[in-house]
Amino acid sequence: MTEATPAGTIYDRGYRHYEGPREGRGRRVRAIAVAGVRRVLGLKRNWKTKVVPFGLLVLAFGPVFAFIGARVLVGEAVGEFLGYGRYLRVVAGLLLLFAATAGPELLCPDRRQNVLALIFTRPVTRADYLLAKLAALLAVVGLIALVPLVVLFVGNTLTADSAATYLRQNLDDLGRILLAGSVLTVFYSLVALAAASLTDRRAVATAGLLGVFLGTSALANILFFTARFDGRRWVAFLSLSGLPGRFVDWLFGDGFDPGTLADQAGFTGPGYLVAMAVVAAAAAAILTWRVLRLRA
Amino acid sequence: MLVAEVEGLSKRYGTVQALDRVDVAIEPGCTGLVGSNGAGKSTLIKLLLGLLAPDQGRAAVLGYDVATEPLAVRGRVGYLPEGACLPGDVTAADFVAFMAQLGGLPPRPARERAAEVCYQVGLDEERYRAVGGFSTGMQQRVKLAVALVHDPSLLLLDEPTDGMDPQGREDMLELIARIRDELGIDVLVSTHLLGDVERVCDRVVMVHAGQVLAQGSITEIAGTTEPGFGIQLGDNGPEVLAALHTAGLAVRPSGEELLVQGSSDLVRDVAAERGWPLRRLVPRAPSLEETFLRLQAAAQGGPPAPAVPQPDTPEAAWGVRR
Repeated sequence: MTEATPAGTIYDRGYRHYEGPREGRGRRVRAIAVAGVRRVLGLKRNWKTKVVPFGLLVLAFGPVFAFIGARVLVGEAVGEFLGYGRYLRVVAGLLLLFAATAGPELLCPDRRQNVLALIFTRPVTRADYLLAKLAALLAVVGLIALVPLVVLFVGNTLTADSAATYLRQNLDDLGRILLAGSVLTVFYSLVALAAASLTDRRAVATAGLLGVFLGTSALANILFFTARFDGRRWVAFLSLSGLPGRFVDWLFGDGFDPGTLADQAGFTGPGYLVAMAVVAAAAAAILTWRVLRLRA
Repeated sequence: MLVAEVEGLSKRYGTVQALDRVDVAIEPGCTGLVGSNGAGKSTLIKLLLGLLAPDQGRAAVLGYDVATEPLAVRGRVGYLPEGACLPGDVTAADFVAFMAQLGGLPPRPARERAAEVCYQVGLDEERYRAVGGFSTGMQQRVKLAVALVHDPSLLLLDEPTDGMDPQGREDMLELIARIRDELGIDVLVSTHLLGDVERVCDRVVMVHAGQVLAQGSITEIAGTTEPGFGIQLGDNGPEVLAALHTAGLAVRPSGEELLVQGSSDLVRDVAAERGWPLRRLVPRAPSLEETFLRLQAAAQGGPPAPAVPQPDTPEAAWGVRR
């Protein structure tokens, strides 16, 4: 006689204590960072929240993939795409928009919806929270600042007649791509988070950041071209939206457009890099001051 | 071992003294922290979590000093805050799993446990919906799930039935009773609803204007108010009140009746003497609310009551309000 097989299984769905492993500070920081990346990209949220981030990603990646696809189909006859520096300047405009929406998305809702009342009742310090939010924004901004150009470089290499020759001759460009992409990522991330830390309303933070960037650029041009005073060339550093592009132009040896403020001011890339470092440091100070004072 | 211990704790916000040299001992089980709005309940809870720094005094929770080891405390305590604090556009399951990870659980166990705990608090299929669309009662359940998901040893619940309808309130109180009885988790419930405390708690801490009025077991504290009578004598007006008081009875109005403490024979004698009809005379059991009101009145009129109140004269205990 065969042993009777059970027809079903009864599961006890009662409360059980958790006996498994518990992880440390790194896990908590990572959890906040991952949740932040998901939030910024609109993952696991309704479709409306995906429109802006994915629209900007399509704008950043689309031309690169289209170009590489054409190169694969037609070969080198397609010719050269925009130079890396020129493309990075285009991407810098997208980065500003992306950071201006993503930074507030990361910081503002937690305060506006009072979610901090729950987050800070876990073993999470203000510093952990700040670190995680910064990591999340660096990851998503870096996705636009670095990845399309790296993909373009790899595509150019693989579709060249001789990949090894292309790589040998253009390896410097890869270094420039990584350096410029990293500088832009850090700059935009810090500035966007600092703006977001000053208000709990996303729209105000986004509009404020864009307003300051575009406003300072307009002001610098007006002052430079209409006023006459000693040392007016220094107003070139006032234009926040102009700083990244000028550094990129210098790094890739593209030169400034003739007749522009950057062309006539006479400063070179390192000057703009220092200006960006000063702005980023000020942003980091504001951000740290604001986040460390957050109340649960 | 005490679950939480507070010694000489003070906290001031500007000119407001939220807590004034408070001593509290929370024993295992379910303890109610009661007091009217602004009494200092939420401040005390935030001090226990290390979210606020005290001006003076010390607090220890589960054996950890809150000032020096706040993260150790928060890892072992679950907290249900008062008011809205949930993200509107995230599903309950995702948010509870996220909070489990902040409690130290790896991602997969965090998701599994979030599902289990949501089920336990009565969120089954609803857990896949965005929290923003939830009723107040459902949001309170999500907050309870968040408080429970990392398997804490102590739960701090700040006004858990706040804004809930009668059925939701019943459900929440049942859940709290289950947490205490079946899960063996110690609970501190802060509320201004004494009925809730009587339903689920074994012990109570009464606070008023930043000071502790009384603390101990509910039977012990409610028992400090002696039994009395609810009466309706004549028109229950000021004249009646004065006559009863003159006869040596402690009297105070409560709704449509007068609450009287003393011999019912004296009430009968006053009624016969004055010719007032005695329409109702019903015995009243001692209640937590009566004790709280008495202690609160005493605290407002004079020095704070001792930590474990002793019944004094009926007049002093009940007072006469006109």
